[in-house]
Amino acid sequence: MIHDYLSLSILLFCLGILGVISRRNVFTVFMSVELMLNAANLAFIALARLHENMDGHVLAMLVMAVAAAEAALALAVVILLHKHTGKVDTNVFSLLKG
Amino acid sequence: MAQNVSYLGMIPLLPLIGAAVVGILHLATCKKKRLPDQLYAVLACSTPILTFVLAVKVFFDLNGLPVDGRALTHEVFTWFEVGEMNISMGFLADPLSSLMLLFVTFTASLIHIYSIGYMAGDESFAKFFAYLNLFLGSMLILVLGNGPVVMFVGWEGVGLCSYLLISYYSEDRSNVLAGNKAFIVNRIGDFGFVLGMAFLFWAIGDSGFDYISLKTNAHMLAPATVTLVCLLLFVGATGKSAQIPLYVWLPDAMAGPTPVSALIHAATMVTAGVYMVARFSFLYVHVPTVGLIVAWTGILTALVSAIYGMFQNDIKKVLAYSTVSQLGYMFAGVGLAAYSAGIFHVFTHAFFKALLFLGAGSVIYALHHEQNIWKMGGLKTKLPLTYKTMLIGSLALAGCPPFSGFFSKDEILYSALASGHTGIWVVGVLVAGMTAYYTFRMIFVVFHGSPRDAHAYEHAHEPPAVMTVPLVILAIGALFAGFLNLPSLFGGSQQVTHWLAPSLAEHAHEASHSIEIIAIAASVAAFAIGIFIAYRKFGKGAEEPVYSGFSSFAYHTFRINELYDVLFVRPYKAIGSAIGNLIDAHVTDGPVQLIVWFYRQFGSTFKLLQVGYVRVYAIYMIIGLSVMSYLLTQSFK
Amino acid sequence: MFENVLSTMIFLPIVIGLAAMLIPFSSTTARRIGLIVSLVVLFFGIKVYLGFTGNGQLEFTETRSLIESVGIFYRIGVDGISLFVLLTGAALIPIVFVVVKDRPRAFYGSLLVTQGAMAGAICAADLVLFYAFWEVMLLPIFFMIGIYGGPNRKAATIKIMLYTVSGSLLMLAAIIYLGVAFHGQYGVWSFDTAGLAGLQLSDKAAALSFFAFMIAFAIKIPIFPLHTWLPDAYTEAPAAATFLLSAIMAKIGIYAVIRFIMPIFGPELVRYAMPLAWAAVIGLIYCGIAAIGQKDIKRLLAFSSASHMGILALGLFCLNIQALTGSIYQIMAHATSTGLLFLLIGIIEDRLQTREISDLGGIARQAPIFACFFAIALLASVGLPGTSGFIGEFLIIMGAIKFDTTLGVLAATTLIIGVCYMLWMFQRVFFEKGNDRTNGFADLSICETLAFLPVILLILFMGVFPQPFIARITPAAQSQIATVQGTGQISGQVALDHIQPQK
Repeated sequence: MIHDYLSLSILLFCLGILGVISRRNVFTVFMSVELMLNAANLAFIALARLHENMDGHVLAMLVMAVAAAEAALALAVVILLHKHTGKVDTNVFSLLKG
Repeated sequence: MAQNVSYLGMIPLLPLIGAAVVGILHLATCKKKRLPDQLYAVLACSTPILTFVLAVKVFFDLNGLPVDGRALTHEVFTWFEVGEMNISMGFLADPLSSLMLLFVTFTASLIHIYSIGYMAGDESFAKFFAYLNLFLGSMLILVLGNGPVVMFVGWEGVGLCSYLLISYYSEDRSNVLAGNKAFIVNRIGDFGFVLGMAFLFWAIGDSGFDYISLKTNAHMLAPATVTLVCLLLFVGATGKSAQIPLYVWLPDAMAGPTPVSALIHAATMVTAGVYMVARFSFLYVHVPTVGLIVAWTGILTALVSAIYGMFQNDIKKVLAYSTVSQLGYMFAGVGLAAYSAGIFHVFTHAFFKALLFLGAGSVIYALHHEQNIWKMGGLKTKLPLTYKTMLIGSLALAGCPPFSGFFSKDEILYSALASGHTGIWVVGVLVAGMTAYYTFRMIFVVFHGSPRDAHAYEHAHEPPAVMTVPLVILAIGALFAGFLNLPSLFGGSQQVTHWLAPSLAEHAHEASHSIEIIAIAASVAAFAIGIFIAYRKFGKGAEEPVYSGFSSFAYHTFRINELYDVLFVRPYKAIGSAIGNLIDAHVTDGPVQLIVWFYRQFGSTFKLLQVGYVRVYAIYMIIGLSVMSYLLTQSFK
Repeated sequence: MFENVLSTMIFLPIVIGLAAMLIPFSSTTARRIGLIVSLVVLFFGIKVYLGFTGNGQLEFTETRSLIESVGIFYRIGVDGISLFVLLTGAALIPIVFVVVKDRPRAFYGSLLVTQGAMAGAICAADLVLFYAFWEVMLLPIFFMIGIYGGPNRKAATIKIMLYTVSGSLLMLAAIIYLGVAFHGQYGVWSFDTAGLAGLQLSDKAAALSFFAFMIAFAIKIPIFPLHTWLPDAYTEAPAAATFLLSAIMAKIGIYAVIRFIMPIFGPELVRYAMPLAWAAVIGLIYCGIAAIGQKDIKRLLAFSSASHMGILALGLFCLNIQALTGSIYQIMAHATSTGLLFLLIGIIEDRLQTREISDLGGIARQAPIFACFFAIALLASVGLPGTSGFIGEFLIIMGAIKFDTTLGVLAATTLIIGVCYMLWMFQRVFFEKGNDRTNGFADLSICETLAFLPVILLILFMGVFPQPFIARITPAAQSQIATVQGTGQISGQVALDHIQPQK
């Protein structure tokens, strides 16, 4: 049983990674990050159920709180970036190019 | 044995104080209201006169001592003491230095007085006198120093003053270049001097490095060391005393004011090399081979510069080459171990050469700084006193009996013949003839015949008494100084030689009177022939000759200056420029730049990974995490 | 304050200097404060000189614990060698505050901090403490060149920093290694110089550590071929910084060799003395010849300074009493002469806005006092007898000839090489005809004259009466030579005894 949950979690996580590294739209990248967080949450909950204690729940709640805070902040940043450049394309932000 | 007297240190100190006082007053006031020149003149002239008085006192004090103990010393303070090296700032007056002391202070006093007239109206009158005083102080340190290191202080000091005074008219680049040349060429000589001193010190210096101790310990030296030390010291002498191959600076040094040429570049400083060889006679006498090198260098210098002297147009250049030539004689003398003869020639030369330069100065002064002899002529009616005194000087220089130059030069030539160095003697006699020729060429062209430049002739007048009185005094010296060392052939008793004997390690060459008569006859004949040819060519007025062929080559001094320029100066400058601007930045710095280049390459390789896109960094992160997790799982197994 | 004279000399300038950077004084106030502080330091320096007995030991010692667990102490003191290096700095720096005008207050603050740090490096008897001051003294220089320097200042700053820091890091590694090795041998931690002298190292380890130290010092001195940072840095730096670099910092390099390498690495120094002496002599000739090709006075003097440092370094490696005493004496002599030359050049640059030799001329006529001072400093730097430069050079040449004839002969060429470029420069700058630019050159003001005069007198005094200085130097130099030659080698037990009381 636990294997199915964990497989799903890994699948979701990989989808998230794929989204982060392949999409250029900032929102898509952001949503992919959220997906990865949720994959982690799924794993926490499944493992909490397996071990029959509340540790996983606590962590899942924490992750959700962080994700909410992050979403608020990230969206604000994205809006500022859009104001600055008029685009939401990650390729525009390549100041670190060597 | 040596007697300690406390006034000896005052002798060099007085002119140095004079230089400091005059110099500071000048610096403090030259920009605002100037002090009167008379004040400086009195201040500056009092010190040489005082030192002359002290020099006379030294002479009489020495004379009162027994012959073997004729030495006065004064150890002022320990200069520096490091390990086995103990150098004291001390002074020594023995017969040799007292003789030098007498004529140096005497001519210096006269030339200081003469300069009051010559430099009158110069805008930095005081500076000139400060330098002259500084020079005198250094020269006296050189003469009185009790060891080689103290002598070296004076040795370099006079070099500095020579530089300052040659480039005195500093607005003109060529004057400053002449000064630079003098200083640098002298420094090449000093290089030899310092090395000679160093080798001497490490051989026997640890038990005292003053002349008295050195003389006592000289027997402990290995012959090879003596040879080396003597050769190196002689390199120093060639620089200071303008001998082959370092004589080139002296003719250029005539760029300085004429009293300077008289004092420094004729009478005193340039004879320092001869003095030094005589000072170290206790070493030179052991190495006749080196002595022979010294003698031949001297006599060849005498020959070469006499050739140059025959073809010069500038009155001061003629005298300059004659100085080089006479210095050559002196070295021939000291090289052949006839030290007293060499020193005696230094002594007489000081009188007649200072006289000739000061006379030339009067002529130049009268003609408003005209130095070309072919623009002069017939001046004997306009400048009768100058003419008479210069005639005496010329006769002394040319070696006419019984003028002073005759006796001193003859003694050198005689000792060459007596010691069996016929080659040196023959060249010496030849040079004597040439000397007579070029000296009287100058006299005839300048004072006889008809004026070549009527305007200058009209305005020429005898200089003021402050300039002519020194001329007369020097003329008396040039006339009679020779009698001080009258050889026994003429019924004399060689007083100077006997006076000098305790200081010098001389072995006199005893020879028959017949050889002496041959030597004298040859010299007189050479003198007569030289003067006769000069009279035939220039006696009744002659026009400026056009130099061609050999005479042009000699006029340009065998193009030695150009040769040195091509051989040494230009390559040195080129190498300097190449090192300073190319090699240092690109070759020596190469390893450093290689490291920098390596860092750059390293950096730009890793730069490729820095694409700037967030998602690529995400990939790196994932790769990194994957590898880490894999390794972690591996390690748990 | 009077009990801890040396600490005052170190920290008073540092504290006031930092304060001057932070508190918004006007530029003139900052300069005056700097002058007062440096005069106070000079006063303490004279106190130290008067109280100094010259027994060959460290005097005025102070010991406090810094990091006791690894044996790092704040341990300072002076002996015959460091005393004169310390005094030279203390005596020269007040002039800078008189002469260098109209700079921002941070500039004067940096000067003070450097002064304090240099005093610290000179007095430190603990390797870690020394290392700290050694690095700190360079920091203000970094800002002084980088902010107030000439047009190519950035490249020059980066070069000097990377060059010296890479050397220093090698030294740091060696210092740590020595400390660890000491702990391994004796079971206690110590970085005390005297204690480390008793360390027994394997040949390889000793040689490696020796070179790590040597490279650090050779860069600072500099010894050929590690001198290539110098022409740019000296040229681009403002006059005051060039003065600090040439007059004092380079001398600390020489001093550090005597203080740290000689006792700790005596056998290695003896083994490698010959190649090092050759490097010094090559540098002496090489930089001397390079100077003749320069068009910028400051660059010419930079090469000249490098050339003279060659002869100072040679004095270290000859390992005899004459050469070493000569070197230490020359530290003072060269600091006064070259330091003065750089400051005077700074005045020319300030007043005429140029350093090109071809733009200058006829200054002697316009400014006789200035020219006279310049000439005296110049003559001292070419080693004319009667000036301070002669004594040191003469002793070093004598020592070099004793050590190795060829080297001695080559070293003596400095007599010729030096005058060539110096006279050439003097001719072009001070003699000949003036031009429109130089005809307005104002002579030194009374204030400036009075500032320079003591140093000029010192140059002459040191040339005529060197013995008072030499008598204090010789015992210390003698004991260093004895240590190097092995006759004064400290045994392990003595080293431990040295440490014990401080535990």
